[in-house]
Amino acid sequence: MRALHRSILYPAVATLVALAGGCNRAAGTGTTGRPRVALVMKTLNNPFFIDMQRGAEKAAKDLDVDLVVQAADRETDVERQMQIVENLIQAHVGALALTPSGSREVVPVVGKANAAKIPVVIVDTRLDQKAATDAGVKTASFVGSDNYRGGQIIGEYLVKVANGRAKVAILEGIPGHETGDSRVRGFKDAIKGSPGVTIVASQPANWERDQGFQNILQAHADIDTVFACNDIMALGAIEAISAAGKAGQIRVLGFDAIDDARRAITDGKMTATVAQYPDEMGRAAIEAAVKAMKGEAVPADIGVRIGLITKENAARDSDKK
Amino acid sequence: MRHRLSASGRRLGTLAGLFGLGVLLWALTPHFLTVSNLLNVLEQTSINAVIAAGMTFVIISAGIDLSVGSLVAVAGVVLASTLHAGMPITIALAASLAVGFAFGLLNGLAITWGRLPPFIATLGMMSIARGCALLFTEGRPVSGFDPAFRSIATARLLGIPAPVFVTIAVYLMAHFVLAETRFGRYVYSMGGNEEATRLSGVNVRLHKTLVYGVSGLASAVAAVLLTARLNSAQPIAGIMYELDAIAATVIGGTSLMGGEGGLGGTIIGALIMGVLRNGLNLLGVSSFVQQIVIGLVIVFAVLIDTVLKARKG
Repeated sequence: MRALHRSILYPAVATLVALAGGCNRAAGTGTTGRPRVALVMKTLNNPFFIDMQRGAEKAAKDLDVDLVVQAADRETDVERQMQIVENLIQAHVGALALTPSGSREVVPVVGKANAAKIPVVIVDTRLDQKAATDAGVKTASFVGSDNYRGGQIIGEYLVKVANGRAKVAILEGIPGHETGDSRVRGFKDAIKGSPGVTIVASQPANWERDQGFQNILQAHADIDTVFACNDIMALGAIEAISAAGKAGQIRVLGFDAIDDARRAITDGKMTATVAQYPDEMGRAAIEAAVKAMKGEAVPADIGVRIGLITKENAARDSDKK
Repeated sequence: MRHRLSASGRRLGTLAGLFGLGVLLWALTPHFLTVSNLLNVLEQTSINAVIAAGMTFVIISAGIDLSVGSLVAVAGVVLASTLHAGMPITIALAASLAVGFAFGLLNGLAITWGRLPPFIATLGMMSIARGCALLFTEGRPVSGFDPAFRSIATARLLGIPAPVFVTIAVYLMAHFVLAETRFGRYVYSMGGNEEATRLSGVNVRLHKTLVYGVSGLASAVAAVLLTARLNSAQPIAGIMYELDAIAATVIGGTSLMGGEGGLGGTIIGALIMGVLRNGLNLLGVSSFVQQIVIGLVIVFAVLIDTVLKARKG
């Protein structure tokens, strides 16, 4: 009886695997004879990464290489991401593009790729410099948006629309996070040349929606502009502003161009944000990976364009990330 | 006698499944059946296999432990912080195992003295232990250890990765406890019929509490492997690991109703999951499809169990 059930179960599973494998066979085993590169992302549960995958697929098609795209189920599961990279090393892919789920935690597996002589392009999130140096790992390139430049763009925009006069509050990200720190630095450098634009308050709001801006608004009634290092915090600030009865009196600047922020800009509740372009990141990553695979020179740092989103272009689809 | 035969029959079936999967992957990709890839799979399977060994005790006793992933995080950050405080490796290991065991015992106490259903008690602990790990580290990973500690994950003996030896040692010890000791027999009898076990004079509260201690201990061993492997202990590590451990145990033929099953099945169950994930990566199957395939394997394995039970009854 048992044997009978076994004889039903396993062929059933085997067939499933075969089907799943069969449809991807060309990509998986490289039977087409084309070189094969892999893109390993944090997760596929975020539109940001779906767009990145789309850009990578287009690049692979143009460059006539096979592309394998894999991701962990959850963004937090860096060990699973490590397994995926290990498995792709076993599959002898020609080059790897990787968006690290942990800046330090992926360093050991980048080391394994180094040992297997598979070039690695890091995308979107940088490796921890110290961890990488300590472990002696090498990467072919980093592809990502320049957060410093993003901060600058929005700072320059403020100087222009405020005619050089503004009292600004800054909502920072989590202290010590490279992305947020760079955005603030870029913003500050952009307003440096305008003595009329002053920063009256700057404090961490930990990337979260409901932290702090009410208190800042209480303490500094003269604030006319808020720059939040991501849109979530900017949307929180908008709520605090309308709760304080100051809707429409304070400019709100954000970062990321998420859909809710675009809507707020279209509705006139928010002033501007900065868009990243993950599809271009995906494209640039695969282009760099293919070059590295062929042994051609690749720049150590490849910046992907970022753009200002205001009422003029907030609703336009082509700018959507 | 009948019980033993059916268990070994079940195990043979699972082994046949693993073998069949291997043959299939060998036919589909040249990268599967290589020494280096098979060692890679064994290494990757070790963490889940170790957690699943503890889970097997719990499930045989007719319980469930949802907190194992969070216990991995707590034990990991304690280990990492102790190492960062400059303590010798042995002290750090002992601290980590003690913390895992203690949290496990707390689960057991909530279930035996607090009379909470295991599902609820360990669900609560899942959140409590996660919170402790986050609080303890202020949400930041604790990373960077010296090579002596990392060798737990990176060393190779006769070309075989160290975690594989750790896993084998864990299974030999656990098998000895489960198959050869009085405690082991109580685990089965509690799962088979708790009331009868209690009436026959066994201290069910004590032994059931210990079962969860064993599971916590196994999670701590897994935490050591994970921390050494990533060179980092994250307070957010191990999220949803309980599902993989339960899956490996159940695929291995241990009944969720309790009273039957064993570690031989669990290790094969863990290997089936490891081989499946590895194979799907090698074949370049989309991550979405991978989730479907793995889910189906779990459901089929339990389905078989249910069907068998129905026939027997």
